[in-house]
Amino acid sequence: MSSGSPLLADLIEALRCLPGVGGKSAQRMAFHLLERERERGLKLAAAMEQAMRRIGNCTRCRNFSEEPVCALCAGTGRDRHVLCVVESPTDLAAIEQATGYRGQYFVLLGRLSPLDGLGPDELGLAQLAERLGEGEIEEMIIATNPTVEGEATAHYLAQLARAGGVKPTRLAHGVPLGGELEFVDRGTLAHAFGSRQSLE
Amino acid sequence: MRIEQQPAYVLHARPYRETSLLLECLTRDHGRLGVVARGVRRERARLQRAQLEPFQPLAIDLMLRGELATLLGAEPAGLPLRLPGDAGLAGLYLNELVVRLTGRQDPHPPLYEAYAQTLPQLCMPAGLGWTLRRFERDLLDALGYGLQLSFDADSGESLDEDGDYLYRAEHGPVRCAPGTARALRGGDLLAFAQDRKPSAAGLAALRGMMREVIRFHLGGGELRAWRVLAGAVSRR
Ligand SMILES: [Zn+2]
Repeated sequence: MSSGSPLLADLIEALRCLPGVGGKSAQRMAFHLLERERERGLKLAAAMEQAMRRIGNCTRCRNFSEEPVCALCAGTGRDRHVLCVVESPTDLAAIEQATGYRGQYFVLLGRLSPLDGLGPDELGLAQLAERLGEGEIEEMIIATNPTVEGEATAHYLAQLARAGGVKPTRLAHGVPLGGELEFVDRGTLAHAFGSRQSLE
Repeated sequence: MRIEQQPAYVLHARPYRETSLLLECLTRDHGRLGVVARGVRRERARLQRAQLEPFQPLAIDLMLRGELATLLGAEPAGLPLRLPGDAGLAGLYLNELVVRLTGRQDPHPPLYEAYAQTLPQLCMPAGLGWTLRRFERDLLDALGYGLQLSFDADSGESLDEDGDYLYRAEHGPVRCAPGTARALRGGDLLAFAQDRKPSAAGLAALRGMMREVIRFHLGGGELRAWRVLAGAVSRR
């Protein structure tokens, strides 16, 4: 930085770790905080410090949690007979916001991807099998992404569920709402065509 | 160097910089290439990204400069291939095997052919194990690590159909006492060489032999996909 403040340069560099933030936006953010939002900047720093240090993963569902067992797993308000398996905490949040789902979750924190070093151990599948073995869960909703790796993971999970006497189900995928067939990619269209449903 | 309409498959994709993907592609004429696909992680590039999933035959346009190439265009070169169930897991194994055993920019056209022919076979009822063993054999052949499956590497004698052998990487089959652990029948080795499907017991022994050979060429490493396949198969 030409300002001659090494701390400012550090702050700008640090802000660049945020998604979508390049050098220019990082500089704008840093100036904004220093010029107008010192108070809230300090709050941000404190919240950041606490969150980075204290948030871990729930031992039951692997979602972010600062307690050993997260509020969703510990609470009594959710259906204990349905378990939804997602790749990431972001996916969990998306399902919570878009659907009326009231069951439990399990977060893989990835998908089966040998070339990324992600196998059954990294995804906590032994832990998942154990949970299925507890006997409470009747249906396991597999909500991994409709990618090659997500589908392979879904297949693996379905076998795990069947071995544990649990019924596996898979999110349907097909033509997006409001989309026109002409503009849908071939893979999606082929898949939607293959899994068409009876209208009877 | 500009490369146009090159037959290729995406083997793997990882996020690269803000909005891009770094693809590992198997191309017909240039071997495995690291290819940067710019901007395909943006929301409006969803269609482009869907096209860059593994197992799809593509024709790609590239600019190759130094270590990495830049993707200029990609279009489907055939119907999208779906590998459901175990075929998908086996496909991920194929991709790991190719990435781990080949170097970038080291062309092996026969490997490309073997890969392209094996993918659709993964879905066929002929038996996944046999399809994978054939691919491993052809991959090693294409890379210049071909197996020696015709004579005893110690004595130089032709393989005995009913004899028991152990296979030593970079050496070949050597006679062993009947009942030795991981021993292979001479008949099964000959069948493998002649592309005839061996007995079920023979196939199981060949699987162990191929793992040893692959491990040797990996410098002692393991493939992550072995654990995935083991987990999937053990629950039958
Ligand atoms: Zn939890």
